[in-house]
Amino acid sequence: MFLRRNLWRSGLRSEVQLRELLRRGLSSASPSLPPFDHQPRPYKGMLADEVLEKRKKFLGPSLFYYYQKPLNIVEGKMQYLYDETGKRYLDAFAGIVTVSCGHCHPDVVNAVVEQSQLLQHTTTIYLHHAIVEFAEALASKMPGNLKVVYFVNSGTEANELAMLMARMYTGNLGMIALRNAYHGGSAGTIGLTALHTWKYPIPQGEIHHVMNPDPYRGAFGSDAAHYAKEVEDHINYGTSGNVAGFIAETFQGVGGAVELAPGYLKLVYDIVRKSGGVCIADEVQSGFGRTGSHYWGFETQGVIPDIVTMAKGIGNGLPLGAVVTTPEIASVMSKRIQFNTFGGNPVCSAGGLAVLKVLDKEKRQAHCADVGFQLIDRLRTLQQKHDIIGDVRGRGLMLGVELVSDKDKTPAKAEAAVLFEKLKDLGVLVGKGGLHGNVFRIKPPMCFTKQDADFLVDALDYAISRL
Amino acid sequence: MPPFDYTPLPYLGPRAAEIVRKRSEFLSPSISYLYKNPLNIVDGKMQYLFDEDGRRYLDAFGGIATVSCGHCHPDIVEAIINQTKRLQHPTVLYLNHAVADFAEALASKFPGDLKVVFFTNSGTEANELAMMIARVYTGCHDIISVRNAYHGNAAGSMGATAQSNWKFNVIQTGMHHALNPDQYRGIFGSAGEKYAKDVEEIIDFGTSGRVAGFISEAIQGVGGVMELAPGYLPAVYRTIKKAGGLFIADEVQAGFARTGSHFWGFEAHGVVPDIVTSAKGAGNGIPIGAVVTTPEIARVLTQRCYFNTFGGNPVCTAAGHAVLKVIEKENLQENALVVGSYLKDQLKALQDKHDIIGDVRGRGLMLGVELVTDRQQKTPAKTEILHAMETMKDMGVLVGKGGFYGNVFRITPPLCFSKEDADFFLDVMDIALSKI
Repeated sequence: MFLRRNLWRSGLRSEVQLRELLRRGLSSASPSLPPFDHQPRPYKGMLADEVLEKRKKFLGPSLFYYYQKPLNIVEGKMQYLYDETGKRYLDAFAGIVTVSCGHCHPDVVNAVVEQSQLLQHTTTIYLHHAIVEFAEALASKMPGNLKVVYFVNSGTEANELAMLMARMYTGNLGMIALRNAYHGGSAGTIGLTALHTWKYPIPQGEIHHVMNPDPYRGAFGSDAAHYAKEVEDHINYGTSGNVAGFIAETFQGVGGAVELAPGYLKLVYDIVRKSGGVCIADEVQSGFGRTGSHYWGFETQGVIPDIVTMAKGIGNGLPLGAVVTTPEIASVMSKRIQFNTFGGNPVCSAGGLAVLKVLDKEKRQAHCADVGFQLIDRLRTLQQKHDIIGDVRGRGLMLGVELVSDKDKTPAKAEAAVLFEKLKDLGVLVGKGGLHGNVFRIKPPMCFTKQDADFLVDALDYAISRL
Repeated sequence: MPPFDYTPLPYLGPRAAEIVRKRSEFLSPSISYLYKNPLNIVDGKMQYLFDEDGRRYLDAFGGIATVSCGHCHPDIVEAIINQTKRLQHPTVLYLNHAVADFAEALASKFPGDLKVVFFTNSGTEANELAMMIARVYTGCHDIISVRNAYHGNAAGSMGATAQSNWKFNVIQTGMHHALNPDQYRGIFGSAGEKYAKDVEEIIDFGTSGRVAGFISEAIQGVGGVMELAPGYLPAVYRTIKKAGGLFIADEVQAGFARTGSHFWGFEAHGVVPDIVTSAKGAGNGIPIGAVVTTPEIARVLTQRCYFNTFGGNPVCTAAGHAVLKVIEKENLQENALVVGSYLKDQLKALQDKHDIIGDVRGRGLMLGVELVTDRQQKTPAKTEILHAMETMKDMGVLVGKGGFYGNVFRITPPLCFSKEDADFFLDVMDIALSKI
């Protein structure tokens, strides 16, 4: 009764806020994790401090980590991770959008275990059924004539190969990528990557970075046509008029969960193709139903690329990547030998096939749409409540929350760092992205539930309220 | 074939013909397979492989020098399974003991100040990273590699690779390829220092005089098990150092005890590199690569962010650590030395018998047998080797092929290869060569 009177007196504006305040009022204690029926094994191994010391000594000073007191994660199950004390965390980042089915998903583990006991590695100089079964299944998920599959071991390798194909196929040199993109860590893919924090000072030839069709920070808002004109200008004034190709993530990952302005890819694909180039879709983060509305990120823009690269979620954590293209483009690769020793190995292929089956069987794409819808809705409501939330964007379970300190969208870097830590303390692990590190990346394993979503939002609310 | 106490499970999956059909439809046209009737290999145990009919083969190629301990070695499989069930992938953004343990164990295998490890997923990624580190560290772009080398298939490593079969017609900058200290076909025979002069000339005439570095394999793998002429690497090392460059040793094939005499191939040449890359045998077949360097050189990457999502994952590093333990526990380096020396001696005896064997070379269980139709001209016996490979396969021995002309048998079995296996191998090769 007393509580009700207080609420009446605060002069509420909307029912939503009432609900929120009720929720807060009723539980001034921090929100708690949804229940989960799993006991982690007792951990008797090396503890955090010692691991950190050894890392610094043997893994080099450039190997960074999250959190001032980094977490010693020793076990995982579905959408949860456990530290050395057995404390459970909601994994809202999935090992950087990689654990698609869930940590140690039984179907995937079984496939890996079974195949590891039978045959790990012979290379493709001999035949094996696993690689073709996986290739066929993967190809069947692709539209158009995209059906030749190259298996590699990472997203970087996939993008390197895609660039090679584009140049070989077209006979042209110039590649076009978006500012704010991330495509890999090798010298070639560092060229495509367009965030200075990831670019070492080495030659990265013949790459043009065009204006990012960023609806939140871009000069033209969501007006795709203006951004597309930029691409045309780059080609007309900065190249011979002919290019090798264009590559983009439909949902920029490292760049802070930026969804490209609607209609952009359609316009740009057209321009690039007219200049003799091929169109590459980097689906390393956005593929496999994560966006909810479609299986592949590029489908949200209504285009069909010439080459698609993928990694991360494709193996639920197995070191696996793939490039899918048309038979026509693939044929240029037969001019020389392009061989990948580990690529397509039976264990990773079996694991990859199991992932595809799990995602279909458990209807993960629909699930992402469903949970994602609720999550975005609650996050947008939270945005009404907290000025620091500048933007909520994304689709399905590929979301971003950008924090700003004022109406000019000044990145709230310090606050983001503090909140990042607080969320961890509350039991929520998110990712961080954007050039200024002020975007929370929320991309959990696709078995993430509505209860998990509520907990995440409650935790975020709780943390921001106590800034 | 030596006896072996293991019966593979009956195979009920798709058979060879169907797989060939699907491969041509769904896989890269750039990858081919060995043999006129390609083998459908479905099971592996130690140094043996089994096809769809349960037929056993002696694996003298090791999945391209990759299966170091033996197919499905129980210790390694156990490590993989245990870790897979617990945690496959958190990334190194969080701590986990597996990557730290393996890095420490691996670092302890290196001389000098080589003790910082970067994990990647392949040899290509490792060489790409090594080359980038050298370029950023020195501020120079030029890198020298050796003709006939193979270092990988991405932009940078393709540049370092020096055989036209593997080089696509795309820009590969800042690369210089030096005369190959080829003891069999090289103009200076085995006088390593004479070949090293070429590196000096490349630097003096082809660069600003300062270079980023030099990269080479101690024994060229894809190039046909070509061991670099003695004296070459130390001489090149001195030259590179004078030009401010870093010395990169590609141990992707020769590393992990394979050469028998030493753990690392470069150790036989008396140099201590600045950066060492490895992959293949490091994980007995699991996708893993590593770059090892000094703390001083490693610091250069702190200028920006370098990150490898899968690199250093608990499963692969647990497997890698198990590999090191197995190599030690089972004395695989000693075995490689003993069986390898024996095999090489017997192959030399075979060379006396068959004119077609032009050269027998290599070290430990990294051996090569080059076939020529004319010993004086050293004309590569390109078709004869294919014939011999087929016969050997029919008789139950799987071997590899390499060299620029494709006329070199590459013998790189799992290091548990026994003397009995060697005898069987020799008998089969003898018969196969007699039948050409």
